[in-house]
Amino acid sequence: MVQMASMRFTLGLMYTPELPLRTNLTEAHEASWQAIGEPGAFWTGPERVQMVAHARAATNCKLCEQRKAALSPFAVPGEHDEISRESELPPALIDAIHRIRSDPGRLTRSVFAQVIAAGVSEAAYVEMVSVINSSVIIDTLHRSLGLSLPELPEAREGEVSGDYNTEAVDRGAWVPVLDADQDLFEPGMPRVPNILRSMGLVPSAVQLFFQTFRPHYALANIPLSISQAQAEFVAARVSALNECFY
Amino acid sequence: MRLRGSGEQEGRDYDLSVITADTGDGGVEAGDVLRGLTEAAIRSEWDLLDGLRADAFVSMGEQETIDALTVAAAFNGITRVADSTGIPLDDAMAEATASIRAASGIDQFSYAEKSARYDL
Repeated sequence: MVQMASMRFTLGLMYTPELPLRTNLTEAHEASWQAIGEPGAFWTGPERVQMVAHARAATNCKLCEQRKAALSPFAVPGEHDEISRESELPPALIDAIHRIRSDPGRLTRSVFAQVIAAGVSEAAYVEMVSVINSSVIIDTLHRSLGLSLPELPEAREGEVSGDYNTEAVDRGAWVPVLDADQDLFEPGMPRVPNILRSMGLVPSAVQLFFQTFRPHYALANIPLSISQAQAEFVAARVSALNECFY
Repeated sequence: MRLRGSGEQEGRDYDLSVITADTGDGGVEAGDVLRGLTEAAIRSEWDLLDGLRADAFVSMGEQETIDALTVAAAFNGITRVADSTGIPLDDAMAEATASIRAASGIDQFSYAEKSARYDL
């Protein structure tokens, strides 16, 4: 009971109660923040927390700024900021994190290939994608609401599980994805679209990301105060700004 | 391109071309307000967003404003998942949205197009 009470107090710092945020969203974010600090399938708790720190550093990184201004983001060599130079994570992975955070619209397969060439497995890459982008959602919402960013998650020691989906399949993505039927939810919309399958190589990565994402949006009957069309307008505009083909 | 699906369900014809344009509400209620909030949030223009958010609280409502920003935050993450894993469009989606993607310029965001433009 003491532990539960302590956890509630710590996690409750993430959002102020004055904001009309739905309880399922705040609870999901708190659970995800805690989960990021725990050992994952291929990365330890401290490593996962470092990933979030790198992603945040990318938003103020000089090299990322120069790359974003260049015609090609691959035309500007250099080193990322201090925190990244001192990291124990593979430099290619740190570079990928910076690119994902600062210039996602110009990611190409070569970024992924460099990470793999550095000895990081596809599954470990997928886990990083989940951790980083879960933190992007949480950080973006905080900043959008005028809140300070939450402190980094508390890193917990422990062994990685090594768990991954041995039945993941090649569907033309950079990584193997979840095998799923292509039944249609409605014309043009599969019941399990590729975005839901994209991190299917690592089930815990799927769990972390969609636990964070799900309270924000639904494909139909969206449980928010704005209409489905308004939500789709916002979503589509974000996709365009981030130059997301999918 | 779920906006098209919403329009079909509501019996309305939204102008999807505004999605990749710098202006326009596409016929969506409070579209200009939503656009301003979304663009400021995704471009990390926090000071600008502070003002837009306060205005939107009045014009659209506090809960509606926060919900719009909630959707924007979610898609700021999920678009990166797509772009980090290089997932292709679902076959059915690709077929159903071919003309829209061509008309709106979204095809230029394909991973093959990006590789041709940016890889050295």
